[in-house]
Amino acid sequence: MAELRFEGVRKDYGEVRALRGFDLEVADGEFLVLVGPSGCGKSTALRTAAGLEEVTEGSIHIGDRNVTDVRPAERNVSMVFQSYALFPHLSVEENIGFGLRARGVKAGRARVKVLEAAELVGCEKLLDRKPFQLSGGERQRVALARALVREPDVHLLDEPLSNLDAQLRVYMRAELKKLHQSVGATMVYVTHDQVEALTLGDRVAVLNQGILQQLGPPDDVYRRPANRFVAGFIGSPAMNFFPGERVDGSLHAGPFVFEGRPNLPERVEVGVRPEHIQVDEGDEGAPAEVQVVEMAGNETYLHLQADKSLVLARVGADVRPEVGSTVRIRANPADAYLFDAETGETLT
Amino acid sequence: MLRDRERREYAVMLAPYLIGIAVLIAIPALVTFALALTEYDLIRSPRFVGLQNFRDLWDDEIFRTSVRNSLMFILFAVPLRLLGAVAFALLLHRKFRGVGAYRTSAYLPTVVPDVAYALLWLWIINPLYGPLNLALDAIGGPTPSWLTDPRAAQWAVIIMSLFVIGEGFIVAMATRQGIPGELYELGDVEGASPLFMFWRLTLPLMAPTLLLLMFRDTIFSFQANFVPALLVTGGGPAPYATTYLPLFIYRNGFEYLRYGYASAATLVMFGLTALIVYLQWRIVKRWRHAFVV
Repeated sequence: MAELRFEGVRKDYGEVRALRGFDLEVADGEFLVLVGPSGCGKSTALRTAAGLEEVTEGSIHIGDRNVTDVRPAERNVSMVFQSYALFPHLSVEENIGFGLRARGVKAGRARVKVLEAAELVGCEKLLDRKPFQLSGGERQRVALARALVREPDVHLLDEPLSNLDAQLRVYMRAELKKLHQSVGATMVYVTHDQVEALTLGDRVAVLNQGILQQLGPPDDVYRRPANRFVAGFIGSPAMNFFPGERVDGSLHAGPFVFEGRPNLPERVEVGVRPEHIQVDEGDEGAPAEVQVVEMAGNETYLHLQADKSLVLARVGADVRPEVGSTVRIRANPADAYLFDAETGETLT
Repeated sequence: MLRDRERREYAVMLAPYLIGIAVLIAIPALVTFALALTEYDLIRSPRFVGLQNFRDLWDDEIFRTSVRNSLMFILFAVPLRLLGAVAFALLLHRKFRGVGAYRTSAYLPTVVPDVAYALLWLWIINPLYGPLNLALDAIGGPTPSWLTDPRAAQWAVIIMSLFVIGEGFIVAMATRQGIPGELYELGDVEGASPLFMFWRLTLPLMAPTLLLLMFRDTIFSFQANFVPALLVTGGGPAPYATTYLPLFIYRNGFEYLRYGYASAATLVMFGLTALIVYLQWRIVKRWRHAFVV
């Protein structure tokens, strides 16, 4: 195990700049999640760490080694791909032991290590099978066992749960978390799924357009987003944003009025999470017309039209107003996030 | 369910192909079976002789030589052609500057008409002014008499066939391109050498296609040497060094007007082809577990 460090990494694909001055330090034994939308550079970052892509500028360090120009084989990392990349003609045992055999480990020794790794992920009964005889979850376990068997310094996982159905994904997420807790290995996990990011990561790194937007524990990233992008990307359903306007010492944002917010810049943007919008049928708050009611089992999403603003509210499962009816909406000033409208940075 | 009108349309569209198959392949093939049991010279009516043609073939030294030549040709040409197709496929499956030109070059000899190709080789292997011997001489190599030395002539026909591998090359390249790149990336990360990857990944994953190509090339190779043997070496040099089965059949049928005899030889060639493909299949079946994907 070892720490992984990116120092000022830039990666260009022709005119496209995938990573721009990317700095990141993953601690020894940490589970770090790289999250961001498609094309944000998260997979590129992982691939540069694996050595599958050369960096245009900057350096990558594993432990005290500068591995920037080191071949993938000599970096001592493992990689789990979204497709699992299992060799279709090899048995599970041969798949798991592929790296060991490639590195000249004798068959007997390899078999012992393969069995250990298979037991660790719970696929020891599948060793004689071929990949086509496995379910999605079993394939995922095999890919994980293959990553673990060599005991590399760093594990790199590129959206390994994306191909699983929703139910299995939740189950494997917990399995993965348990696995990390038991082996304590350094893991870098790439996903576009914010729920995976928040539930799995010791820390979460949010990327956008090749730039690290925020790095911190999941709770920090959710509760104290560094900027408008992070606030909008983390959280489901996404945060509501309204242009803010100062009027006589108070702040007007869409249907909401927040008192006592002096010392704000001229142009601000206000964000309110859907779960922080209170909906009732009384007289208090701004009127809003119910346009769509989405039942989501244990909660309800209301799409509301309040004056000129569209507002999304997340309310309890028992709140089911009629489409076309008018409700009142309020938000607590403490739950409003303020962003500089020019830079997108969070205002404190 | 197809409507009647659609059925009629399909039948009309299929008709030229089906008629062609029937008239040019199926009926002549059936006639060949019948002719093989007759003596027929196009002038007199066919005379039924039973299995006499096959007995005569058994005693015919030239026929035995042509069978031997054909088998030796297959023994060397098929593996070498397959090797060439795979080598080109592995070299040219990636995208790089100019790859289109290289791929076209690899395929080009396949689309050159057989006669033009044979005449070109007649010039290339000419012992006096042919570029092949000039080049070999320049590097101090042997300069065989390709057209007068029996062994050299047989190799000349094999060498000629090695450049007509466009179809095998395309199929092998498509197969190689079909192997996901992530498997190779994983191999890189896991520390597999290129040779290890070739033996453990590329070859097993290409094996089903290569086996199919091998069967196909075996069938093809029985007939592929007809034009070079006819136009370049003329079936010689003595004693019948490049008289292969197709040339033997052609000469007996169209030059000596022994159609019954030629038909019998054709059936023997057909049987031999089937037998070799069957033997290959048996071997593959035995080793199938190593190739099944």
